[in-house]
Amino acid sequence: MADLDLLQGTLDLIILKALIWGPSHGYAVARWVADTTGDDLQVEEGALYTALHRMEKRGWIAAEWGLSENNRKAKYYQLTSTGRNQLHTKTEMWNRYARAVGRVLQTS
Amino acid sequence: MTMLPRFRRLFRIDRGAVDVPVAVADELQFHFDMTIDELLAAGKSREEATREAHRRFGDLEQTRLGLQHIGRVRVTRERRAQWWSGMSQDLRYALRGLRLSPGFTIGVMLTLGLGIGANATMFSIIDPLLFRAPSHLAHPDLVNRVHLATQYQGKEFFRANYSYRTFLDLSRDTHSFADFVGYWPRNLAVGDGTETQERRVTGVSASFWQLFPVRPELGRLFSAQEDKVPFGENVIVVSWPYWQSQLGGRRDVLGQHLHIGKLDYTIIGVAPRDLIGLELTHPMGFVPLTSMATNSFEDRGAGRRYYDSYSMNWLQLVAERKPGVSVAAATADLQQAMIRSLEQKSALQPGSDPIASLKPRAMLSPIQFEAGPNRSTATKVGTWLVGVALLVLVIACANVGNLLLARALRRRREIALRLALGVTRGRLLAQLLTESLLLATLGAGFGLLLASWGGSVVRHTLTPDAEAGGVFSDPRMLAFAALTMLVAALLCGVAPAVMVLRADLAGALKSGSREGGYHRSRLRVGLLVVQGALSVVLLVGAALFVSSLRQVRAQPLGYDADKVTYVEQNLRGTALTDDQRYLLLDRLVQRAQELPGVVAASRTTSVPFYMDWGEPLFVPGIDSVSKRGDFVLQAVTGGYFRTMGTRIVQGRALSDADRAGTEMVMVVSQSMARALWPGENPIGKCVKIAADTLPCRGVVGVAEDIKRGSLSDDPGLMYYVPILQYPVGAFGIFVRTSAPATETADGIRRALQAEMPGNAYLTAQPLADLIAPEMRSWELGATMFTVFGGLALLVASIGLYSVIAYTVAQRRQELGVRVALGASVRSVLQLVVGDAMRMMAIAVALGIAGALLAARWVAPLLFHTSPRDPLILGGVAAALLLVGLAASFAPAWRAAHIDPATALRSE
Amino acid sequence: MPRARNDILQGTLGLLVLQTLATRGPLHGYAITAHIIQASAELLRVEEGSLYPALHRMEQDGWVKAEWGITEKNREARFYTLTPQGHKQLAQEQESWTRLTSGVRRVLRYA
Repeated sequence: MADLDLLQGTLDLIILKALIWGPSHGYAVARWVADTTGDDLQVEEGALYTALHRMEKRGWIAAEWGLSENNRKAKYYQLTSTGRNQLHTKTEMWNRYARAVGRVLQTS
Repeated sequence: MTMLPRFRRLFRIDRGAVDVPVAVADELQFHFDMTIDELLAAGKSREEATREAHRRFGDLEQTRLGLQHIGRVRVTRERRAQWWSGMSQDLRYALRGLRLSPGFTIGVMLTLGLGIGANATMFSIIDPLLFRAPSHLAHPDLVNRVHLATQYQGKEFFRANYSYRTFLDLSRDTHSFADFVGYWPRNLAVGDGTETQERRVTGVSASFWQLFPVRPELGRLFSAQEDKVPFGENVIVVSWPYWQSQLGGRRDVLGQHLHIGKLDYTIIGVAPRDLIGLELTHPMGFVPLTSMATNSFEDRGAGRRYYDSYSMNWLQLVAERKPGVSVAAATADLQQAMIRSLEQKSALQPGSDPIASLKPRAMLSPIQFEAGPNRSTATKVGTWLVGVALLVLVIACANVGNLLLARALRRRREIALRLALGVTRGRLLAQLLTESLLLATLGAGFGLLLASWGGSVVRHTLTPDAEAGGVFSDPRMLAFAALTMLVAALLCGVAPAVMVLRADLAGALKSGSREGGYHRSRLRVGLLVVQGALSVVLLVGAALFVSSLRQVRAQPLGYDADKVTYVEQNLRGTALTDDQRYLLLDRLVQRAQELPGVVAASRTTSVPFYMDWGEPLFVPGIDSVSKRGDFVLQAVTGGYFRTMGTRIVQGRALSDADRAGTEMVMVVSQSMARALWPGENPIGKCVKIAADTLPCRGVVGVAEDIKRGSLSDDPGLMYYVPILQYPVGAFGIFVRTSAPATETADGIRRALQAEMPGNAYLTAQPLADLIAPEMRSWELGATMFTVFGGLALLVASIGLYSVIAYTVAQRRQELGVRVALGASVRSVLQLVVGDAMRMMAIAVALGIAGALLAARWVAPLLFHTSPRDPLILGGVAAALLLVGLAASFAPAWRAAHIDPATALRSE
Repeated sequence: MPRARNDILQGTLGLLVLQTLATRGPLHGYAITAHIIQASAELLRVEEGSLYPALHRMEQDGWVKAEWGITEKNREARFYTLTPQGHKQLAQEQESWTRLTSGVRRVLRYA
């Protein structure tokens, strides 16, 4: 189980979750993630954009240009059906993994 | 965020995605702006806010590069996917469109099928003749046919066959070749008794198996040891088809005996299925070349045996160059060896021409015989027909292009609208091309069907000897059809494509489809003119060939080819002295004359278009008779002229009373009389045959000229002597029947076979069969040009009709106004028909110009017909104009009877 | 600065190894993997390919030290022990893990 997978997987999971409410641009996603996780997770925004673009390439999310609230051109992302499936799978995986690590941490 | 769907359409043509770096920069800029705004709002200074934004983001440049990379990969992949989905969408779109107009689809399919079928047919014929290498050839690129040319009276002649001695000389004295092969295909009697049948047997030197390194289906091949001089082993490797059809494909045939020619052969192997060898058809088998020589030639003493004579020319030569040796180097090497060989020949035959005057030249040609210097008429005509087929394809494409263009014009507004809505011209072009490609594919399918049927018909006429493969199972054929299909699709699609590219959006949208359409049909007119012009060219060709064929058929042959059968005796090893053979032939003549239905019979030495006999002639008062032409001797029995139907125009015919001991006589042809004694009475003149020391032979009669070597320009220099006074050439007899020879030949052969001693047998051929091949090229030319030309004309007239009808429909309103303003029926007719006639006139002018341009090359193929015959050119021009008139009259009539009220309201 | 934050999100292998050494005392590599498998009820599997590079890195960083010793089956092996620095590192990693899980849990609460 490679570390990187976990890292990416977790980030993907968070972003997919952020898009569950509907199309959103990168800035809004970053804000939502920061607001929701507070100080617990400080997601680097560069990594976030990388993840967005990678998932766009894989077809988990689709991107279109639109106008933002303040009438500026912005790139909007939204979940595709593949993305929705990914979200379920990743949630499941995350829960199982966190449980497993938790067990190891609780042994003494 | 909820506004997104509204803008989706506008940004769909992902401008951002196309320029990846810009899109990435835009997105990040937005992000930073938002972050900084927010931080400013929270009361930070701009400097602090900027620093904080960068801190939150992390490594900006690294991320930017990463995003750009991801974006590029994505865009590439999306484009590819889009292309495919666009393709399948176009295909569905095209299919739907075609299903909706079945008449159009079928018409186009037939037209293109015709064009593609004609080309596929011609390709299937020309390919094995000129391009395809024989199967199993180890190194097709290194193998050449060997040709040697010498000059005679200032003209260069390529020999068709070479002596065994030359073969030995060349293989010994050259160093450029890895393999030197001599071969000789020959018809020999195979089998015994009633089973006896003449079949093609090929004698090949053992080196043949190096050229074709095959593994036999059964048994083994023969070695150089079995192909030794003077007597090769009598062994045979039978061909696969013979093994299957005559030997039942049994595996125990090895060691069995076959009576071939006059020798007894042992079967040692069966060749692989597709080993044909160096010709176009399977022989019944391959035997050692030296054994073939023994089978075919008598031992006629030193210097005249097949292996030590330079004068017995029977072999064809093929050589494989060593790897890396160029054709030029090998040719130079070959020419050296050729000169050395000629030197040895002249040492043996003193008095032959000095070598320098012969200007010897060696040549290596491709392995396909027809690609060499001795190209047959069939191939020449075939090559012409390839050109004709291409013209037909171009005409078909022009017509289909025209129809497609009409379709596109009808959809002009739709196209303009789609362009305005942002569909790219590229997509539209792809759609149009998909449609024409689909049509071409349908056409190709139909064309292949046509080729598999029509091909066999044409092939039968043009190259009856060639073995036919299946059209659908031949990958070369399919590749050719696919190529033609692509070319056709492009040709057809080009006109509508040009229209789409030049489409003037605003104009098409603003105006009704009417005005724009009328203006744009110039392209259609252009295509129509091309069709018309090409039709003229084809029709002129048709007329020229038909006229040639008529002239050929009208040629007086000087004998009745239809009722005469040539019966030839084949001794097949049965030993008979010359006298016994003469007696046998006399008996055959006598027996034939007793048969019911037989009118007359005669012995013969020369047979038109088959073989002839010549002797040197000497005429008192003439220096060199041979300079006046090539005189052919015909030694016959008394019934000859009655048998052949050749008229005596002066003096008397020969009779059985002219025999040894009576006065020496001869009959000459009119041409010969003119050549030797111009302006004089030939009767009573003296001619000496073979030597000028022999006694005179007096001319007693003059016969009409006959055609014996060429239908077109035969000099007709024949002389006839009583065979009893000049006993030579005991080969066969002519038999004349009251019924056509095609019906009687076999009956005669059966009846006479009873007279044959031992293994000897007879063959019988109607004389017409010997002449038929001479007519073939003209027959085929006339048929093909007529068929293709007629079809082209039909297609062009339909095209003309559709264009005129279309134009009339487009001008409905204008014509309506004219009619309303009182234009007479006649003036409207004139207007519309005049339009059509102008187009046709241009087409005719171009077509005639094209025909005149091609005249130089077509002239050698014609017979007593000038390629610039004004009657033919004028006739074709008139025909085309008439067709134009007919095609445009109906739409013109409709135009003249437009009801102005409806026409004006229709807008 | 940014690198450090990245490291917080860096995977859990180090955490698992440090935790194992902290609770089980000196162990050789094989025993570490065995323990992780067993403790996680076979949900986690640490591969040798990543374990040993990680151990060596930790040794370099001074979180663990290694000594040669004899296994129960009388084989020579390198035994790893947690250093005081390693203990500090473990505490840090435990904290970031807790933060990660609580952060993600908060995200996942929205359903």
